[in-house]
Amino acid sequence: MSRRYDSRTTIFSPEGRLYQVEYAMEAIGNAGAAIGILARDGVVLVGEKKVTSKLLQTSRSTEKMYKIDDHLACAVAGIMSDANILINTARVQAQRYTFAYQEPMPVEQLVQSLCDTKQGYTQFGGLRPFGVSFLFAGWDKNFGFQLYMSDPSGNYSGWKAAAIGANNQAAQSMLKQDYKDEITREEGVQLSLKVLSKTMDSTSLTSEKLELAEIFLEPTGEVKYQVCKPELLEKLLVKYGVTQAAAEST
Amino acid sequence: MSIFEYNGSALVAMVGKNCFAIASDRRLGVNLQTVATDFQRIFKIHEKLYIGLSGLATDAQTMYQRLVFRHKLYQLREERDMKPQTFASLVSALLYEKRFGPYFCQPVIAGLGDDDIPFICTMDCLGAKELAKDFVVSGTASESLYGACESMYKPNMEPEELFETISQALLSSVDRDCLSGWGGHVLLVTPTEVQERTLKARMD
Repeated sequence: MSRRYDSRTTIFSPEGRLYQVEYAMEAIGNAGAAIGILARDGVVLVGEKKVTSKLLQTSRSTEKMYKIDDHLACAVAGIMSDANILINTARVQAQRYTFAYQEPMPVEQLVQSLCDTKQGYTQFGGLRPFGVSFLFAGWDKNFGFQLYMSDPSGNYSGWKAAAIGANNQAAQSMLKQDYKDEITREEGVQLSLKVLSKTMDSTSLTSEKLELAEIFLEPTGEVKYQVCKPELLEKLLVKYGVTQAAAEST
Repeated sequence: MSIFEYNGSALVAMVGKNCFAIASDRRLGVNLQTVATDFQRIFKIHEKLYIGLSGLATDAQTMYQRLVFRHKLYQLREERDMKPQTFASLVSALLYEKRFGPYFCQPVIAGLGDDDIPFICTMDCLGAKELAKDFVVSGTASESLYGACESMYKPNMEPEELFETISQALLSSVDRDCLSGWGGHVLLVTPTEVQERTLKARMD
C-alpha cells in the first residue's frame, strides 16, 4: 500500500507521512548508538564505535564525534558519508558567521541552519534525505551549555539528555528514569556510560568500542572540547563498573 | 599620498637560532593625524605562526579575518596546524584572487616549521612571495628598515640578542618615518615559549 507513495521524497502519503524521511530514520536505527547528556557544568557525548577490524587504519582521530567550531561539537549516527557532507557544511557555516559578526555562532542558530539544509532535501530537488541524526553539544554566552538532537526530517529540539542510533528508545527511557537536573559532568559521564553499556549489543565493553567527548569551560573562561584518551576511558569504565565481561573473567 | 601610506605602518621579522622575532610599530593614523597608539598589526594564527600586515588598516584586518576563516577550517579537516610554508602559499593565493582590485596590504609571515626551523617571508599586495633567510620588512618605514636590518643583523643570534637587534632596528627606522612609530610591539617565538613585549619609544 505504501509502495505507491514512497519512491519520491517530495510527496506525502494519504496518511500525511513522508516515507523517504521515515526510511532514512530506519537506516539510522541500525547504526552505532550515541548519547548526549546536559550537565550543569558541561555537556557529555558518548558514542558506540561500530567499526572494529584490526586492519582498519583511520586517518581521523574520532569516528563518532566531530568538532564543528571551538565551542561546538556533534556526535553522529547513521550513514557516515552523509554525515561528512553535513559536518563540512556546519563547519563552513560556523566560520562564515564568525567572519561576518566576529563572534562565535550561537549553538541554536547553527543547528537551525543545518536543519534548514536537511529540510530542503525533503521538499525539493528530488534528492533523497540525509541518513544521519546528530547530537549537537555546545556553549554560547546567551544560553550557556546546550544539547540539541536533529534527525533526517530537519526537525530539531533541545534536550537535557538524548540518545540516537541503535536501541535509542531503550536508552532514552533509561535516561528519563535516571537523569536529574543539575547533575555534574562527572555524574553525566557515569550515567551515559552506564546506559550505553546496557543498550549496546556487544558482550564486553572496552575503550576500543567507545568514544567519549566533553564540552566544558576552562578556568580561564574559554570553552573546551575534549575527547577522552583511550587509557583514561578504560580507567573510567573500570571505575564505574561497566566493563561487564572483562570483570567476570578476572 | 598613496593608499599604502594612508594609515602608516612598520613591520620587520628576523630569523635567529631556532627562533624568530616579529616586530611592528603601534601607530594608526589618518593621513597626518595620529588616531591610535595601540594598534595591533601582528596576529597569531597558531602557537608557532604569526602574520603581520602592513598597509591599509582595514584591509589588514579583513585579510586577517579571512585567514582565520581558512585556517580554522584547515585545522578542523586536517586535525593539525598549518605549516608556515603552506600558510604563505595560502596568503599569496588569497591576495592574487583580488589581482584587479587588490587588498592594499603587505604581509610579513613568520613561523616555526617542521623540526622548529624558523621560516619568514613577505609578499607584495598581489601575492608575490619573497623568501628570505635573514630578515624581511614591510610598511612605510621599509626603506629605513632595510638599511637598519642589513647593518645590525647577524645570523644565528640567540633569543635575547635577537630581541635587542630587532628592537633597535625597528626603533631607529621608525624615527626617520613620520607615519610610523608611537611605540613598538615585539614577539619573540622559540619552540618552547612566546615572549611579547612593548617598546618604549619616541611618541611622535
